[in-house]
Parts: sequence; C-alpha cells; structure tokens
Amino acid sequence: MRAASYPAFALTAFQSRLVYRNQVWASAFGDLVSIFARIAILTAAFAGAAQVDGITLPEMVTYALLSGPLLYWEYSRVLYDVGDAVRTGDVAVFLLKPLHYPSYLLSTHSGHFAFECVAIVVPVALIVGFTVGLLPPASLFHGLMFFPYWAVSWLILFILACLCGLLAFWLLTAFSLEWFLMAIMSLFSGAIIPLWFLPTPLATLFGYLPFAWISYYPAAVYLGKLDVTATWLHLGIGLFWLTVLSAAVLALWAKARHRLIVQGG
Amino acid sequence: MSRSLAVVPHLVRMYVRTRLEYRGAMLLAWFAQALSYAATYTAIALLLLRFGNLGGWTWSEMALLLSFHLLAYSLGASLSFTQFRDIEEKVRLGTLDAVLIKPVSPWVYLVFSGLNIGYAGHIILAVGLMAWAVTEVAVDWSILTALYFVAGLLSAAMVTAAIMTMIGATALVWVRSKHLFSIFFGFWELARYPLNIFPVPLQILMLTIAPLGFLAFVPVAVTLGRPVPLLGDWAALTSLLAGPLAVTLGALHWRHCIQNYQGAGG
Amino acid sequence: MAIIAASSVEKIFRQPKRQSGFGGALRSLFSREHTEVRAVDGISFAIEGGEAAGYLGPNGAGKSTMIKMMTGILVPSSGTVEVLGREPHSNRITNAAEIGVVFGQRSQLWWDLPVRDSFDLNRHIYDIPASRFADNLARLTSMLDMAGYIDRPVRQLSLGQRMRAEIAMALLHDPKILFLDEPTIGLDVVAKDVVRKFLAEVNRERGTTIILTTHDLVDIEEICPRLIMVDDGKLLFDGELRHLRTALGSRRRLKLEFGTDPGAITLKTAQLVTDEGLAKHFLLESQQTSILDVLTELGSGHDLKDVKLEEPNIEEVIRTFYQNKPALAGARP
Repeated sequence: MRAASYPAFALTAFQSRLVYRNQVWASAFGDLVSIFARIAILTAAFAGAAQVDGITLPEMVTYALLSGPLLYWEYSRVLYDVGDAVRTGDVAVFLLKPLHYPSYLLSTHSGHFAFECVAIVVPVALIVGFTVGLLPPASLFHGLMFFPYWAVSWLILFILACLCGLLAFWLLTAFSLEWFLMAIMSLFSGAIIPLWFLPTPLATLFGYLPFAWISYYPAAVYLGKLDVTATWLHLGIGLFWLTVLSAAVLALWAKARHRLIVQGG
Repeated sequence: MSRSLAVVPHLVRMYVRTRLEYRGAMLLAWFAQALSYAATYTAIALLLLRFGNLGGWTWSEMALLLSFHLLAYSLGASLSFTQFRDIEEKVRLGTLDAVLIKPVSPWVYLVFSGLNIGYAGHIILAVGLMAWAVTEVAVDWSILTALYFVAGLLSAAMVTAAIMTMIGATALVWVRSKHLFSIFFGFWELARYPLNIFPVPLQILMLTIAPLGFLAFVPVAVTLGRPVPLLGDWAALTSLLAGPLAVTLGALHWRHCIQNYQGAGG
Repeated sequence: MAIIAASSVEKIFRQPKRQSGFGGALRSLFSREHTEVRAVDGISFAIEGGEAAGYLGPNGAGKSTMIKMMTGILVPSSGTVEVLGREPHSNRITNAAEIGVVFGQRSQLWWDLPVRDSFDLNRHIYDIPASRFADNLARLTSMLDMAGYIDRPVRQLSLGQRMRAEIAMALLHDPKILFLDEPTIGLDVVAKDVVRKFLAEVNRERGTTIILTTHDLVDIEEICPRLIMVDDGKLLFDGELRHLRTALGSRRRLKLEFGTDPGAITLKTAQLVTDEGLAKHFLLESQQTSILDVLTELGSGHDLKDVKLEEPNIEEVIRTFYQNKPALAGARP
C-alpha cells in the first residue's frame, strides 16, 4: 500500500470522532474539572509559599497542564485496539491486507490524538491560560527542544500501550494490562507528582526509567529546569529508551504474528 | 416487587458462576486494579511527605479519606457501574428488550445479573488501608461515631449507585449516555481530596448537583471533627440523608426513563 | 374474544440526521437536526385466542416495533394496543408473566452457562411450580430433542440448537401468547424445518396463540394460517394466506402446446405473453375465467397437444406486490 494512504487513516480517525459530539463535550468538561482540581491541590500544597524546591506555583500550574492533558493522553484506545485485535484474531484480517499494521495503528492513533488536541487540550489550555495563567517556555532553546521531547513522549506512551495490548495475546485479557500500565504511569511518569518533589533516591531511580520521559522530562524542559547539556543528554537517553521499547514491541509482534500464522488465526 | 427480590440470589449465583468461568482473568484484574490504586495513593503520600499536609489534612487523615472514598465507591459501583455503563450498548443491540419482557423489575434484573464481584481488589485494598488509618487518626471512637461512620459509608455507596443508575437510565431516552460517566469520574477524582481546598463554586457543585462531596469528604470530615465548608453543623445530618435522597431521585428518574424508552429506533 | 387488539397504532421515532462530509460532521458538533421516522403508521387488527398469525414484511417495515408494543417494551405514539385485555406497557410486569417472547437475533440464554441453568433461572423469574416446571421441561426437551445438549454451555451450541433452547425457554411458564421476532433468521434448512413444525404443533395441540414476524414466507405457510402483511409501517394485507392471491389480483399462467405451429393467436379471455411457436404462454386476467372458457374461445382444429395451468408462485406474487405497492396501497382489504 502506498505510503500516501497512511495520512488518510489519520484523517478518518479524526473525522470519526466528530460524530460523538456528546463525548467531546463531556471529555472536555471532565478534563477541565480535573485540571482545576490539580491546580487547587497544588495551591493548597504550596500553602502560600513563594517556592518549594526552587519551583514556583505558576510553574507547577503549567507543569500540571503539560504533564496531564497534553502529554498523558488517552492511551487506552490504543491498548484495546491492539489487545482486542490480537485476542480475537481479527488482526489476521490486517495481515491479509496490503498494509503495514504498525504503521496503520500509528497513523490512526495520531489522528485520534490530533482530534483530542484540537477539541479538548487546546480549549482547556486556553481556559486555564486566561483564568489562572500559563507560563511561556523558559527560553527559545527550551521552547524548541520541547517539540522533540514531545514526540519522544508521545511515541513512548504509544509503544507502551501497544506492548500491553500485545501481551493480551498471551494473557487473553487487555483489561488487567490497562490497569497495570495505569499503576506504572501514576507513580513513575511524573503526571501526578513531579520528580523534583520526591526524596532523592526515588527521584534518581525514577529519573532513569523510561516512564519519566512521558510527562516529567518534556514538562521540565519546557520550564527550563534542565540546562542545555542535560537537555541534550536526556533527549539522547529518551531516544535510547524509545529504541529499546520499539524493539521489544516488534519482537513481540513478530512472535504473535508467527503464532497467528502457525495456528491459522 | 416481592418476586423481583426473590429472584436476586438466583441472579447473583448465575453471574458469579459466569465470572468464575474466567477466574484467572478475574484474579489478575483484582490484583491489577488494587495495584493501580495503591500506586496513585503512594504518589499522593509522597506529595504529602514533601508538603506536610493538604488543606490541613495529614497523611493518616488523607489515608482515611482515600480508603473511605474507595470503599464507598466500590460498594456502590459493584451494584451499578458496569451494569449501567453497558446499558447504552444493550439499548443499541436490543438486548435490553429481553430484560423488559421479564416479569421482574428491570432495575433488579440488571443490577443483580451483573453484581460486579470484580471490585474485590478495590475492597480488599480499601479495607486494609482503612484498618490502618482508623488507628492512626486522632478520633475517640465511640459506638456513636462508629455507627455514624458505617451509616455514612452506606449513604455514600447509595449516592454512587443512584448517580450511576441515573446516568444509565438516560441512555434509555438518549440512546447514548456513556459520555456522562467521563463527567462523573472528573468529579469522582476531586472527591478524594479535602473539599476545602477547592474554589467555592466547585464546592457548591460537589454538594448539590454533583453530590460526590458526600462520597467521602463530608462523612470523613465529620468523623475527624474537621470543619465542613458550606454545610457547617448540618454536615453530619446531610451526609446521612444524601444517600436516601439520591436513591429516591434515582428511582424516579429510572421510572421516567423506562416509561419513555424508545429502543434503538426502527 | 380477541386477545390482542391493535387500533390505529402509530409509532414515530426521532432520529438525528447525519450530515455528510467533514464540514457536516463539524457542524453536527454544535447542532443536530432530526428526522421523524414513522415505523408503524395507523395499523389495526385483532387476533383471537388460539390463532397463529404471521407478521410479514421486508426489513424496516416496522415488524419488530409492533412486537415491542405488544410486549410492553415500547409505548405507541398514538392509537391503542391491548393484550389479554390490558394495555401492555402500563401493565408490563403482569403482561410479561402471561406471554413468552423469543428474539431471533438476541439470545436470552446465559452465554457461558449450561442451557439448564438459564431454564432454572426462568423457573424463579416466572415463579413456576416445581412439578409443572419438571413436566414442561421434560416435554419440551423431548419435543425439541434437546437432551443431548441441555447440560452444555450455550457458547458451544449451534445456532439451531440455541434457537430451539430459546423457544423452549419462552414456553416453560405456559404463556398464553408466544411472540417470536424472526425466529428462523440465520438457521439452516433443517433447523428451520424443526422450528416450524414445532411451533405449528404448539399452536395446534396446546392452543398457544402465536404471533411471529418474519420475512420468510415459508414460515407463514407452515405455521400461520393468518397473514398480516406490512410495509413502510402500513398494513397491506390481513387474512388467510390462500386469499392473498385473490386479494392481490394475481394472474394465473396458461401454457398451450401445439403439434404444429398454429400461427398468431389472439384471445379475449387470455392475454398472450410469449409466443414460442409450438408453445404459447397466456395470462388469465380474471379469477373467474376457467380453462374451459379459453378453450371454447380458441375453438378446435389447432392440433392442441397439452394444456397447463400454473398458479402463480406466492413469493413472486408478493415481490410484484411490493414493487407495485404505491398503486396498491389504497386498495387494501
């Protein structure tokens, strides 16, 4: 299949979401409530202090918006897509079609993500920006570097969701895997609590695990909490993790594919 | 109604047997869900470790709040969440019709033919955390406070089941209502923190049309003797009335929606 | 006495209008138009106790909607439905205890459990006395030949086995009326035959009133003496199947075979449709015309070898009926 058809999958996914308008409004409202809750929690935690561990409250508000709705996107759609396809054997249909299943998934879900950005994240960010206030990037360098970090973050989360989805092939349930991934995310990704508020040994440990590249590092880079050298260095480590995880997914996919073909689907 | 209630144990037995056909997956899910909540609570504990307190609440008080939140929610949701989340699909596929042609209350049939034993993981975690927290917090436990605590828990579970019923019932008329659960869980997440840290409009919302303030904060604050914003001295009474009131409204709404059921059309 | 009476029943659904294209989808985020669909449009009929009536019509004709109104699931938008002397919707639970309902495409059995367990649950739901339940179960098991699979989980059954179990389940509480929505859909020929024979027997032997919807005419031929035909929510025909031809004014086909080609023949009593020389095909316009009339008009001396009169195929009749329905809709009996 021609490479040009993959963007079409993204567009189709984007369009398909417009049909569920109530879902869009409800998600936007739910996200808005939860971001204001996080801001309230942080405000209460700071309890009037100008800064804690060198972090100001406005920085934390910006961190909350970046690490939550933007970077920690709704990955369960990917997980169930892959999980259901391999568990029921429907994936065999994709193997028959002249297309590359991983590329198909990637383009479809980037379409879904683009939709969520436009319909949910941007409006929520605008509302937060006008009511509470959001900070610009710490510098031009940090602003520009946010984009490669964002890409790495998105791909790592996508790959992790695929990985858990693929495991459903052996465990026969995607449900538990979603919750395992959720457990990992809430502690290690920095979406609930940034690494700089953790006790040093934990912060050091979590800082090397790939999950920190999902929420913590991109947001920290945006806020200028990493100097130029550290920014480049951690981008390198992020890419390394991305490569390792991609290799793991491809290996697992090859195994599942082999089993599917041998068993006849 | 008496026939409906007589059917309950038989429905539950059928559903449990169905779930036991896949007991491996069920045990794994219990574990995964408990782990996920434990991870979130750990993150909250770490936040409190750094900041000392949240809106005046210490970690042990927060632990009581979190465990109450999880336990009340699980008790209510086991009666309602999956049952009423899936009602939208039942309407679309027409399987709800098969429930409506039975000579028993459709609510009883739906709730108990899906009484979700999948919440066991939640409940075990919540009870464990609560057992630790009740001994840690500065409360002089008496028969009266203990009774209030249990009654508050039941009332909170009723609030959960009633809201879920109302959301599910809406699907009977609108065909779609799943999206309303996103809103529910937005407020549900707020409900695990002290209400006093939120802006006043949100507090009002949480004590009125989205009454999840009663899911944990109000009864736990009353038990701990902490001030409850807006309600003040009325907190104890309202927290006990919230459940029965929500159930009444839920029942009326359910009845109204059953009367106006349109099927999937065509 | 009629046990089911429908009078001027209407059911109107409101459905959101889908707008096409990207712009349309975007617009529908903010506003949504609705269209009204008249699924049932002014239908009246009465069914006596012990009757078997087939409700026939193409997909989307409003058959299921009518069943749902008779079983108390839906409320008519206007008009009245009465079942066993009650309004089904406002007496849903009382009504439900006295009827049995089978949905061809939606199983009421518990997927992961043995068939017997679903039956047993129904014993409690319908509060069936133990001895009557045992009798009915034994009778239905043997009549529907379910002994071989009654203890197997439903998910392992074939569609035919499952449908037999569905029907048995709906009859365990001795309902006065059995409603079946497309009971033979998707079944193979043998399974269809078993279901049809069984339903006809239940109706005949036990006097259970049967109302079934179908789009398969054979269901009607084998189970239901009475046919109710609908399309687009409107009643097209209500009466015995054998009267349908008359009602539809369908034409019989007459074939005349000759030893030698008699050349062109024109008749007043029959209309020539195809001329193959030795064989000529005519249509008889009127039901009153007999072969004798045609032969008399034809006269002798044509070296006539054989005469064959064909009754029209009922499927064909109905097909032409639906095709011409705008013209016929006004002429319903």
